[in-house]
Amino acid sequence: MTVDAHVHIGKSTRLQIDADGAMLVRIADKLGIDRICCTDLTALLYDMHEGNRLLYEEMRKFPDRILGYASLHSTHFGQEAIDELRRCHDGYGMRGLKIYSEPGASIAEPAMIPILETCVELKMPILAHTTPQECEYMLSYVPEAHLIMAHGGGQPFAFGDWNRAIMAAQKYPNLYLDTTSSAIDTGYVEQCVAAVGAERVLFGTDTPLLEPWPQLVKIREARISEADRQLILGGNILRLMGVAA
Amino acid sequence: MIFDANAFIGKWPYWPVRSAEASEVAKEMAGWQIDRAAICSLRSVFIHWEDGNREVEAAVKADPVHFTPFACLGTNELGQTASNCAYDFADYAVRGFRGVRLYPQHHSYHPLYEAFVDSILEDAAQRGWPVVLPLRLVMNWGVPSLNLGVIEGLVVRHPRVNWILAGINYLHELQLAVSLMRRYPSVHLETSCVMGFNAIAKTVQQCGAERLLFGSGAPIQNGAAALSKIVHAEISDADKDLILSGNFLRLLGEK
Repeated sequence: MTVDAHVHIGKSTRLQIDADGAMLVRIADKLGIDRICCTDLTALLYDMHEGNRLLYEEMRKFPDRILGYASLHSTHFGQEAIDELRRCHDGYGMRGLKIYSEPGASIAEPAMIPILETCVELKMPILAHTTPQECEYMLSYVPEAHLIMAHGGGQPFAFGDWNRAIMAAQKYPNLYLDTTSSAIDTGYVEQCVAAVGAERVLFGTDTPLLEPWPQLVKIREARISEADRQLILGGNILRLMGVAA
Repeated sequence: MIFDANAFIGKWPYWPVRSAEASEVAKEMAGWQIDRAAICSLRSVFIHWEDGNREVEAAVKADPVHFTPFACLGTNELGQTASNCAYDFADYAVRGFRGVRLYPQHHSYHPLYEAFVDSILEDAAQRGWPVVLPLRLVMNWGVPSLNLGVIEGLVVRHPRVNWILAGINYLHELQLAVSLMRRYPSVHLETSCVMGFNAIAKTVQQCGAERLLFGSGAPIQNGAAALSKIVHAEISDADKDLILSGNFLRLLGEK
């Protein structure tokens, strides 16, 4: 089973995205992707309550295809954010958290700690658009959290430094590397697998911001065992989310 | 036929890459079903442009079937000592070079303020040689990049040049490239770093398939992943053929 661990749904002028579940499922069908793990852009960037509700509606339309990440647009909403996370888990059936970090609003700060602790309690992995250094900060406080470094260092705020991302993952056994990235470097997937094991490498596409084909091909073409490839292409994210294949 | 407009030989200094020698790059290309590639040497980018050009010359002599040489030209301002800034295009032509690449972000010059750049571009325009101007070498957020305004400034100043804009990713970067392609028929887009969703099809819709050239960024970037954007783009087979080789062959005067 192929599962895309990094997909966006909803609208964002900044990212030039306007996508509903039907569109994303059509794209997944073309690539032979069975399930997509989505985060709603309104929840991620503007209003967590509205956006998570919108995602839930799309999940209900495609229950066999769309898995949901609850999203929080900031760490600064205290108990309201924790309550929203629980509501998304208990009421909406969302099985992960997505959160975005940028230099002016880094999530590597004390307010993130109770959110991480809640994710541990709810057994929700956290897909975090972060730098390796931010991941190290968070895991130094809550090492039990299952933290997925979105883009595995291959994003602007991390300066594309996936070598640094791998080093962070070597240090923290609960840190996972998401291969979604504009970067398509030869040998990248192989180096991740060699350094931290295939069990901690996850396939994602960032659809519909990025073109999904290169993201899929870089896993399919990687010089790794077929068993490792299957873990990366879906086994790992299903295991982290506690979802049966 | 698949003709890669943007490949390299030589060593990549930022992280280990499994291929560097021309023969190794040719082997990688074969594995990715890429038949032919325009190359320059990373030595040109990181050490000295003319030393790298000599490496390219030797590589093409050894394997003229797979490689087409592009000359990397840079500043002569070494050791703060002004020297002769003449670039002998006739000599480059005799040596087999077919086009030019500029990497100002790696060669410590501002391309809008240095006269030798205008001289190179006027010569290239006269000969009809394509000029590759990369926003960045490969799609990595940490490697040095050019300011988009500088790219626009050069194109506007030299509209007769057969421009190949490389290293363009998504969002505003792609929009600038599209805007320039729509204003200037001599502007083309190389695809090695174009990563936006459906970007190939959208650019074809806006500018025509004749303006896109397949590029891989190999061997630093994965050629199969680079190729997949074109192969799976929702465009006609005829348009794919143009992007995969036809347009570059036309620019090189081989078609």
